Amino acid sequence: MITMRELSKKTLTLATVLLGITGAFSNAVTATDLGTVEASHSKATLISEYSSAAAGETIWVGLELTPREGWHSYWKNYGDSGAAPIFEWVLPEGVTAGDALYPTPHRMPIGPLMNYGYEAPSTLLVPLTFDSGYTANALPIELIVEWLVCEIECVPQEGTWSGSLPVGDLSYDEGARSFFTDARDQLPEMAIWTADLTVYPAQSRLKVYAGADEIGTVKEAYFYPEGEGITEYAAAQQWASSPDGFFVDMVRTEGGLEANSGKGILVITSEDDQDRAYEIDAELKVEALPAAGSSNATPPQVNADFPLWQAGLFALLGGLVLNLMPCVFPVLSLKAFSFIAANSKTAGERKQEGWAYTAGIWVSFMIIVSALLIIKSSGTAIGWGFQLQEPAFVGALVLIMVLVALSLSGMFNIQVGVEGAGQQLASQDGNKGAFFQGVLATLVATPCTAPLMAPAIGFALTQSAPVVFLIFSLLAFGLALPFLALSYSPALARLMPRPGPWMEKLKEALAFPMYLTAAWLLYVFTLQAGATATLALLVAIIIAIFGVWLWQAFSGRVGKAIAVIIMISAASAIIIQPFGGSPVSNPVETASDITPYTEEALAELLADDETVFAYFSAEWCITCKVNEQVALFTDETQALFAQKGIRVMKGDWTNRNAEIAEILARYGRAGVPLYLLFPKGQSEAIVLPEILTPGIVADAIANI
Amino acid sequence: MKKTLISLLIVAISSFSAFAAPVSGQKAPEFSGKTMTGETISLSDFVGKPVVLEWTNHECPYVGKHYNSGNMQKTQRALTEEGAVWISIASSAPGKHGYITADLAQELTTSRGSYTNHFILDPEGTIGRMYNATSTPHMYIIDEKGTLVYQGAIDDIPSASVRSLPKATNLVLQAWKELKAGEPVSEPHTSSYGCAIKY
Repeated sequence: MITMRELSKKTLTLATVLLGITGAFSNAVTATDLGTVEASHSKATLISEYSSAAAGETIWVGLELTPREGWHSYWKNYGDSGAAPIFEWVLPEGVTAGDALYPTPHRMPIGPLMNYGYEAPSTLLVPLTFDSGYTANALPIELIVEWLVCEIECVPQEGTWSGSLPVGDLSYDEGARSFFTDARDQLPEMAIWTADLTVYPAQSRLKVYAGADEIGTVKEAYFYPEGEGITEYAAAQQWASSPDGFFVDMVRTEGGLEANSGKGILVITSEDDQDRAYEIDAELKVEALPAAGSSNATPPQVNADFPLWQAGLFALLGGLVLNLMPCVFPVLSLKAFSFIAANSKTAGERKQEGWAYTAGIWVSFMIIVSALLIIKSSGTAIGWGFQLQEPAFVGALVLIMVLVALSLSGMFNIQVGVEGAGQQLASQDGNKGAFFQGVLATLVATPCTAPLMAPAIGFALTQSAPVVFLIFSLLAFGLALPFLALSYSPALARLMPRPGPWMEKLKEALAFPMYLTAAWLLYVFTLQAGATATLALLVAIIIAIFGVWLWQAFSGRVGKAIAVIIMISAASAIIIQPFGGSPVSNPVETASDITPYTEEALAELLADDETVFAYFSAEWCITCKVNEQVALFTDETQALFAQKGIRVMKGDWTNRNAEIAEILARYGRAGVPLYLLFPKGQSEAIVLPEILTPGIVADAIANI
Repeated sequence: MKKTLISLLIVAISSFSAFAAPVSGQKAPEFSGKTMTGETISLSDFVGKPVVLEWTNHECPYVGKHYNSGNMQKTQRALTEEGAVWISIASSAPGKHGYITADLAQELTTSRGSYTNHFILDPEGTIGRMYNATSTPHMYIIDEKGTLVYQGAIDDIPSASVRSLPKATNLVLQAWKELKAGEPVSEPHTSSYGCAIKY
């Protein structure tokens, strides 16, 4: 415990250095050292850059604060708690002390709070300006500085200096050179860019207008606001680039202090982890109304008219539509057959099974969404469909598709739930089976993100966690709804056709869309992991099938055990991927004049006054492929592009790509497809719908 | 790795719990807490009377400045004599800087000659977080209708030195005078200074 009495005792032991006007300058190095104060938990050294000042000139003095190991001092905006150093100068008339220049601070999280300051020695530079009419031949200096150092508890420190500096001819002190060079190296550079800082009730956005070549590659950007009321210091900041510069978004306390300054320090971390600090004097704009669209990374115009209920409805409908997707439908047919076959079950058992199936879907969705949120919060730019950017996941899906297809073809029965007419299984097994059918349905549904769902998912991923979970719960519910309805309504169940041999035929027929899905996923896998890995995957799949065959061929315990071992090792080989290869570069489908999307390339084209059509696609995105075949790579559209001189850019999101994730987020999307038309000389694009027709493209081009 | 994931989760969860802060000019959030004498009091017990909240930490030098100089007692006396209910609150968690027991709170209240009416022990930090109290001293004035009229620092010089007091404007007294005169509070929200509250 530190009482005031103890404190004053400590601060009374002040080093007071008096320098005489004459005879004190025999040692040039120490001549301008105005003294060091050893305070209880830190020391402070005051040094002048000049050994002699002159009327009409400005000289600099530096105060170096060195906190004890593990302790820290503060920047002028100390964040949530702390105190900036206070200078009290007593100077004669004709000399004024200016505001101190502070080195670039660091972030120091303290529990739930955030402090800005220095854990290492820091030097504050103060200008002393002499009137041209200053006539005395010396400057008497009286200075009291109060500064705070903290570790866990805080101890105010105080130092008093009194001394004198000759005034006559301006004379630089060589002995102080390295001290001042080092101090200036720690100061932020003056930014050459214009910037504005818009403060909304619950967020602030710093927009910096800078060319891509001026800022280089940015890994991270952080803004230290000088004024109060700009941000909740402990909250993470988000940055994103735009064609005319970039912006940093900050969370703000609603009802917090009024914003009073647009100044601050922007620290940009480059790809090679070099920090560059810039002093920013942004124009402060205070908006009384919330930024439309509560997302931080989304510009105000996106999502402006997308209320929660609408997103929820889209999610529910999207989930329903998923049932009809070519890769999902066959899996669901198994479920349907089990309903048809389960005439002997009681109504209660049917309901239980319906809910088990719903739970399977819901749990799988929640696992994927939680993973997505965790990865996102670590700052990695990803979006919906991220699972498919992982070759191991795609490989596992190929295996699942092939096994399901073989099962449909009649090679064997996957024992999930009730297959085969008349087969009697205990109701508990039925529930477990239904649960895993739900899991399987979710797994195979992920590549087929229905177009209706894209805006809902894009909206959801920019929202707070509870909203995200709500939207995805509705999506899961939508997917489960048909069977849930069947399990509840005997009337609906009666509408189903009577069981019979036709079911076997239909099942066999439905195997073929599954084989096709597997083939397509194999193609995606090849692009991601390379040909060698594809060979390894195929071998692993064949071995897995061999294991299944062994299982059926042998009834003995040993044979079954060998079969299980073979199946498990094949499956783990796929997931661990010991033969991982390098991704094949993505082929450009048609015209060779398609520029791969990078932010820089887009900015360049826009700067050249070009009209740009940018499309974002992935090999695993069916909607994208359909749009490209139907609307983009048609002779008419290609001719139109050529005729209007429109430059085409492609962003390929088959593999993870932060730049593409960013532009998707900026236009309120969490995944592909995204179609953007940038009219000549405009940095904001017209967004085309997710489902394209040649007419839509032609109309959009005609309207610009 | 596991640790990183857990901390990421914590970050994710805490960043989703929206930063709610009381707004000057709006209704002050209702709270109840246990005092050093063991009784439980609520803000709503004092409807019809103005209430002052003082976040305190007896180990904080900034709090020390205002108590050792008598500045805090002078402010408490002025307001309580004019009808305000003064509530001191300590939100430091057990084992942390500024954690206080009921006995010590009683002892300090006597030895410092404090005019506080109630001393709430808030070791869970519930009330502190509700009011977004960040440092000690952190001051709040609630009028007789329950509206928050002032929140922020006790005065306008963020110093731990007693020397700063003669030059400083006492922002609590200033807001109180304006409130009594029926005028709008000219500075309803200022930045508090002092030691971070150790939740």
